[in-house]
Amino acid sequence: MKRSRRVVLTLMGSAAAGAVSMGLVPRIDCGPGSTVVPGPDGKPYCRPAYGGFGAAPHRFHGHGHGSHAHGGG
Amino acid sequence: MQRIACPERDDWRATAESAGFDFHTIDGERYWDERAYYAFTLEEIERRIEEPTGEIDAMCLELVGHAVDDEKYLRRLKIPEAFWPLISESWHRDDASLYGRLDLSFDGRNPAKLLEYNADTPTSIFEAAVFQWTWLEQSIERRIIPKRADQFNSIHERLIEAWKKLGGTHHLHLAGMTESTEDSGTLAYLQDAASQAGLETTLIDIEDIGLRDDGQFVDLDDRPIELAFKLYPWEWMFHDTFGARLRGAPTRWIEPPWKAILSNKGILPLLWEMFPNHPNLLPAYFEDDPNAAKLGTSFVRKPLYSREGANVALVSAGTTLAEQEGPYGAEGFIRQAMAPLPNFSDQYAVLGSWLVDHTPCGLSVREDENPITGNTSRFVPHAIL
Repeated sequence: MKRSRRVVLTLMGSAAAGAVSMGLVPRIDCGPGSTVVPGPDGKPYCRPAYGGFGAAPHRFHGHGHGSHAHGGG
Repeated sequence: MQRIACPERDDWRATAESAGFDFHTIDGERYWDERAYYAFTLEEIERRIEEPTGEIDAMCLELVGHAVDDEKYLRRLKIPEAFWPLISESWHRDDASLYGRLDLSFDGRNPAKLLEYNADTPTSIFEAAVFQWTWLEQSIERRIIPKRADQFNSIHERLIEAWKKLGGTHHLHLAGMTESTEDSGTLAYLQDAASQAGLETTLIDIEDIGLRDDGQFVDLDDRPIELAFKLYPWEWMFHDTFGARLRGAPTRWIEPPWKAILSNKGILPLLWEMFPNHPNLLPAYFEDDPNAAKLGTSFVRKPLYSREGANVALVSAGTTLAEQEGPYGAEGFIRQAMAPLPNFSDQYAVLGSWLVDHTPCGLSVREDENPITGNTSRFVPHAIL
């Protein structure tokens, strides 16, 4: 037999990306690209810079043109 | 090899949607199509598809071994010089690969021919591993296809095993363009398989990957990303803002950076150069190579970087017969000998031969009225009879 004996899905349809909302906190110097946010203990910490991946499809396929840009092929 | 018309399961759409396969229909047009199936003999599968797939993958790995430290190869592939060390180091560390898909032209009579290697971000794995397996099992039960039917498809089980090997005790992040229904479906499936392998996982949009001031990539919870599957091509990563920080970050990527060599269509002329006249390869040359004239006035023109047929042109006797529009081609083109796709009932069929952990283990068939396979070319199941 050249096929899988058993194919079962346990997660599909239920997976969701998590997102955490963070409020504003007093300023500290975090360096370029980073921002200050409250940490779990209430102390400010430097939030990472985001959005540094993902620009390429917009360069290729544009915005709002009904494009079907996706990373797979 | 045959194409056999058959009745559809009357509940296939509901079955698809309950499994999270929401992209079975794209823009109102069928993508999943079970009004027919392709039938292969076991001999065709094992000797003419499975074996050559393993052989082609081995040749590709040999090519990578030559290319990673050879400036001549890397320049021909137009890989930005800033990323040569990233690629070389990933190869010499033996960074593991999860999967890939060879696109083959095969008509059941002549040797299968490599059209290209989707080595970095192949899609249609859910359809191949799960939905066409479900189709087979249910169609046998409902007597739509013969009871003796089998399928070249152990993708699901092998993916779970591969994740166990790759994942260890790491937390796995899976990143991609989650707004795309197709990509999020693929990510969800790979996440499911990883979860069944015992890995803890987080799904994240590619734009939500953060960079901490210590050079570590992190998720939205500020958790370091140690092991990341990306459904986002290397050539796009290289041009993104965070691309410059890839080498300094400890994240291990799947597919690894060395796969950027194989997802480049420049490997087609390089393979032909290394393995001339191999029965499973088509003659191919870089467009600016004087040897390209050996192909004459009939050839297929492909950009070094493109996906799903974009900017591919079929040229016959100097006339462009078919051309797909698209935004690719800035890095240049290759020319490959024309190998007309087999035509079954006015449908051009392309085989997708899957490897998981370098083991050939499954088959997809896509068909289209258009001889250039594109994103909306239909996925048709197959059986071994």
